[in-house]
Amino acid sequence: MSITPEERLDVSMTINGRRYRATVEARRTLADFIREDAQLPGTKLGCEHGVCGACTVLLDDLPARSCLTLAVQAEGRHIRTVESLADGHELNPLQRAFREQHGLQCGFCTAGFLMTATALLEENASPSREDIVETVAGSLCRCTGYQTIVSAIEQAVAEGQIDTKGDDQ
Amino acid sequence: MKPPKFRYVAPRTLDDAVAHLASDLDAKVLSGGQSLMPLLAMRLAAPSVLVDLQHVPGLGNIEDEGTSLLIGARVTHREIERSAVIAERLPILSSAVVHIAHPQIRSRGTLGGSTAHADPSGEWPTILLALGATMHAVSPRGRRTIEADEFFVGPFTSTLAEDEILTHVSVPATRTAWSFQEAAVKKGDYGLALVAATGIPRDGVLLDPRVAVGAAVGSVRRLAEVERLLAEVPMTDVTADEAAVAAAASIDPISDIHGNSEYRRKLVASLVRRAVRELRNGA
Repeated sequence: MSITPEERLDVSMTINGRRYRATVEARRTLADFIREDAQLPGTKLGCEHGVCGACTVLLDDLPARSCLTLAVQAEGRHIRTVESLADGHELNPLQRAFREQHGLQCGFCTAGFLMTATALLEENASPSREDIVETVAGSLCRCTGYQTIVSAIEQAVAEGQIDTKGDDQ
Repeated sequence: MKPPKFRYVAPRTLDDAVAHLASDLDAKVLSGGQSLMPLLAMRLAAPSVLVDLQHVPGLGNIEDEGTSLLIGARVTHREIERSAVIAERLPILSSAVVHIAHPQIRSRGTLGGSTAHADPSGEWPTILLALGATMHAVSPRGRRTIEADEFFVGPFTSTLAEDEILTHVSVPATRTAWSFQEAAVKKGDYGLALVAATGIPRDGVLLDPRVAVGAAVGSVRRLAEVERLLAEVPMTDVTADEAAVAAAASIDPISDIHGNSEYRRKLVASLVRRAVRELRNGA
């Protein structure tokens, strides 16, 4: 066995095109790495055991719950968070659609919905309403009743200008 | 941060993974983590070491071996969902995979993890039992295979030894009559009842039928009484109704906040009826 199990490990990953490096406990979740080590608090933690979807990020372009992934599992990988969507204060079309359709109220779940929807739209530029409903079923929102979230994603689809993967240099 | 402390290692070879797992009684395998991480977060599990399989070569492939497919333990639900060879050779897997949680989970969770976890509500254990799959495992004592009938022995309990790693699942592609049925409160939730049925259609009859039930009965098991009814008789609606009655009579379903025992008994009966009808249509 050339390597030994460690309780603290060096980990480095790319988040939104920038390299982050830290020495973390093995038990540190990717969500905590993003929020605390990388100081990107846009990703929210709700239940911390994989039920609510608030912490969804893109891990090598695929949607993943950052509370169900260890930071050390993301070693060397590319992460995108909600901070990658807007260009400065300029919202991207999906974010704008959420605002225009009232797809958020308190906003706690929004980052997760946005990243889940981003993954969907990057894979399928014209999802049906049913596809959208099924995709967002993995996230909980206690404010909106979901209809406005689905409508927002539909609006973004109709506008057809989703930025894909433009942030990762 | 909610998980308890543990040590972590991501070996680069299967031999190293086996050695790490065997070196500590409380070491556990980490694959996609979609079941293990919630257990850690709720502190229902406290492993000393997690042996991450992500860099172990050879566990991420789907190989067509003619009469069966050999699927690596680390193949994700998402990869199964998008696999052309699975859609063609084992459409029951493609049909069932969309019931597994949500895209964020399916991109991480793996066939091997879900199978080794042996959650009676998991789709794969019920389906692998109905397909008569063969599990491939490795330990310091060498490699061995375990038939699905010998593998799932109780809720969250398989016959994998503590120091064994599930490496592949060999799934027969010859059982071309199939049906998978699931009842859940909403799609992606844990099922209240799962039924998988398969067989080999020949001249209008079904050879070697296998019917498995999950979720509703607390563990994954076959419905021998239903299989007996289906074996080598012409398949008609009467058979489907008889099968439903036989299924209801042969199970002792669990009761919980999501559904009491009688409700689940009716669910299983309905799912068996639907499954048998679908089998007949496919035969």
